[in-house]
Amino acid sequence: MTALTSHLKLLEAESIHIFREAAAQFRAPVLLYSIGKDSTVLLHLARKAFWPAKLPFPLLHVDTTWKFREMIAFRDRTASEMGLDLIVHTNHDGAAKNINPFDYPPSVYTDIMKTQALRQALDNGGYDAAFGGARRDEEASRAKERVFSFRAGGHSWDPRLQRPEMWQLLNGRLGKDETVRVFPMSNWTEADVWRYITLEQLDVVPLYFAKERPTVERDGQILMVDDERMPLKPGEKPTMRKIRFRTLGCYPLTAAIESEAADLDSLVTETLGARVSERAGRLIDHDEAGAMEMKKREGYF
Amino acid sequence: MTLAAVSQTEALQPVLQPGDKSEAMLRLLTCGSVDDGKSTLIGRLLWDAAGVTDDQRAQVMHASHARAVNGERIDFSLLLDGLVAEREQGITIDIAWRYFETERRRFVIIDSPGHEQYTRNMATGASHADVAILLVDARHGVKRQTRRHAAICNLVGIKKVILAVNKMDQIGWSEERYRAIEEDFRSLAGNFSFTDITSIPVAALTGANVVARSEEMPWYGGPTLLEYLESVEARTEPEDAPFRMPVQMVLRAANDFRGYAGTVTSGTIRVGERIVDARSGLGATLQRISTMDGDLASASSGDAVTLVLDTDLDISRGAVLTETQRRPTNADVIEARLVWLSEKPFDPEAGYLLRTATDLTPVTSVSVSTLIDFETLSSTQAHTCSMNDIADCRILLGRSTALDLFGDLPLTGNFVLVNALDGATVAGGVITWVQTGAAAVGDNVLVLDRARLSGLCADLGDSPEDRAEYDRRAQEVAILLRSAGVPVLIETDR
Repeated sequence: MTALTSHLKLLEAESIHIFREAAAQFRAPVLLYSIGKDSTVLLHLARKAFWPAKLPFPLLHVDTTWKFREMIAFRDRTASEMGLDLIVHTNHDGAAKNINPFDYPPSVYTDIMKTQALRQALDNGGYDAAFGGARRDEEASRAKERVFSFRAGGHSWDPRLQRPEMWQLLNGRLGKDETVRVFPMSNWTEADVWRYITLEQLDVVPLYFAKERPTVERDGQILMVDDERMPLKPGEKPTMRKIRFRTLGCYPLTAAIESEAADLDSLVTETLGARVSERAGRLIDHDEAGAMEMKKREGYF
Repeated sequence: MTLAAVSQTEALQPVLQPGDKSEAMLRLLTCGSVDDGKSTLIGRLLWDAAGVTDDQRAQVMHASHARAVNGERIDFSLLLDGLVAEREQGITIDIAWRYFETERRRFVIIDSPGHEQYTRNMATGASHADVAILLVDARHGVKRQTRRHAAICNLVGIKKVILAVNKMDQIGWSEERYRAIEEDFRSLAGNFSFTDITSIPVAALTGANVVARSEEMPWYGGPTLLEYLESVEARTEPEDAPFRMPVQMVLRAANDFRGYAGTVTSGTIRVGERIVDARSGLGATLQRISTMDGDLASASSGDAVTLVLDTDLDISRGAVLTETQRRPTNADVIEARLVWLSEKPFDPEAGYLLRTATDLTPVTSVSVSTLIDFETLSSTQAHTCSMNDIADCRILLGRSTALDLFGDLPLTGNFVLVNALDGATVAGGVITWVQTGAAAVGDNVLVLDRARLSGLCADLGDSPEDRAEYDRRAQEVAILLRSAGVPVLIETDR
């Protein structure tokens, strides 16, 4: 048996309830798996919800081709160990045009390789519901999301027209052209996620733990040089630093922190003592005010 | 969430071998009229209780300056209003969820919009709260919107409210004015079933009585807002509540595994006990409570589990598993109090569906009998309702479904009404009365129409008031006939 606090048990039970409601009410759900710690917990909760039956939906990973190599290795290992039905989708049109995070501004790159790629994948698969690991404590516009977040045709989100969600009742009846993003972990916090990973002994991508890695410093942020595709600016020379990541995305857009936390215990201590919020390391959230809301209105997760 | 706050209060040890703060968890709603300062109050609470990270602090300082609201002061509401439109207009459109913890307690703060147009979002927030802060501007006192919010808090089952009389600095910290507002609120609260009303004079902008005790109001001897929130008891279930588990889905796996998955909404069930499907009356013995972490010996309210029975019952999603003795009613007629959430008013011609815990039942008819008047808080006769109204109504279902009274068991006694055409949630309601076996429409069903009731209703004309009275009389006749075992349908007079 697990040693969860009853607070975590409550969150776990609530998430399981949401997974089951969505699986029962929607025709073709899919779980958006992005390999990070939240996805790890999301996947674990999904397995608990339907155990001993198999997951009644596939996993979808939108691969920008710019993820850390360790993430891709972790993804493939997880899928094969757990016998998961994993679909990987890349916006091949964008990749063919070499839309990359170095030559294009983050907003353009994200729109083409993440938002448009996600819309393509959802449309291709005919999915009417997509599970995601987003938490309300992540960012101001996330704090406003419903558990069943309805999207009009074209996946657009209008925060003014969110469906009332009273008590434990989740109304999944769809209107014309509507789809839903389902957020089973809405009420989890970053601290809850790490506590849960610790107590449930879940495997996470090693990039969360401090290790000597090749880095450069740019605009006050530490970036990891994950492969030879990263163009170095004049005078830049990768140096080894002991770093780790608090959040994982595309490697050119995810800043590392210098850290000594090489195991779960020290990582939890360090995370709980942090004086800056988690998304400070997400470069794509800072290019304009309300950046996340704007991206979500256009169909970003 | 405030990782910083966590680090100050919890060392690593309690994280890995956690102490249990769960009993202490509190879901807190903030509501009140526009500009009464809700977002500011909560922003202040977060700020003072060390719940804000450095980059958020810097962001708020920067934005406050740019907006120059409140002169040179920090605009605490910027911590809450996350949507672009909200920042532009300086109003809250939808609820914001915030998480923070102090040494004594873990909080979920649900900050709701005050604007009348967005009352439906406030109702969503209220339904998730244990305790509500009703905020009143000391200069204006209790307003219509305060009464409406109090009525919605009452409807969704909140028992404990805090009247926070804000902007005390604007009225010279006047005790007399504060007492008058408190008195006014207590007299209107007599209309509701709140069990605990605490009033606190505060000034969100200066922080008086929010976290720190105010020096300007020596006459106030009660708790600060944070002191109260840390000590108030969250909602608890009576120990002997009857067992209920609405079935979400049937799980099948290899080796003939067949289990009923759901969340226990009340009571406790143990392996070996008898279970009944409320709708069919079929019974079985509980063989296993199965989870991925191993089998359990018992399951209690809040547990998301999978029940395996010794005989397969032919049931599916929508069934309610219950103990043998105290069962829910298989109702096909209900009376309910509801809050109308849709911009489209109630339409007797529209198709509605009743969504309960896990069931979706077609609605044959809805008839509104009264509305709450937000000036007087008394009920007035009506035959329709529109957005933000609170109405009492009678709902006839196309088939029966297992239900409880909200006052007895909230999670199997609440519902939302869904528009069958576009799927929109149009109302949220609580069940106040149930009846079984009434709408079993057969050949011998008696239809109450205008002709049949002509004698009883000869004095009524065509005005809305008269139509409402007609409905009321028809319903009363139907109740009498149904109680005598006569199946009855009311033909609405519209």
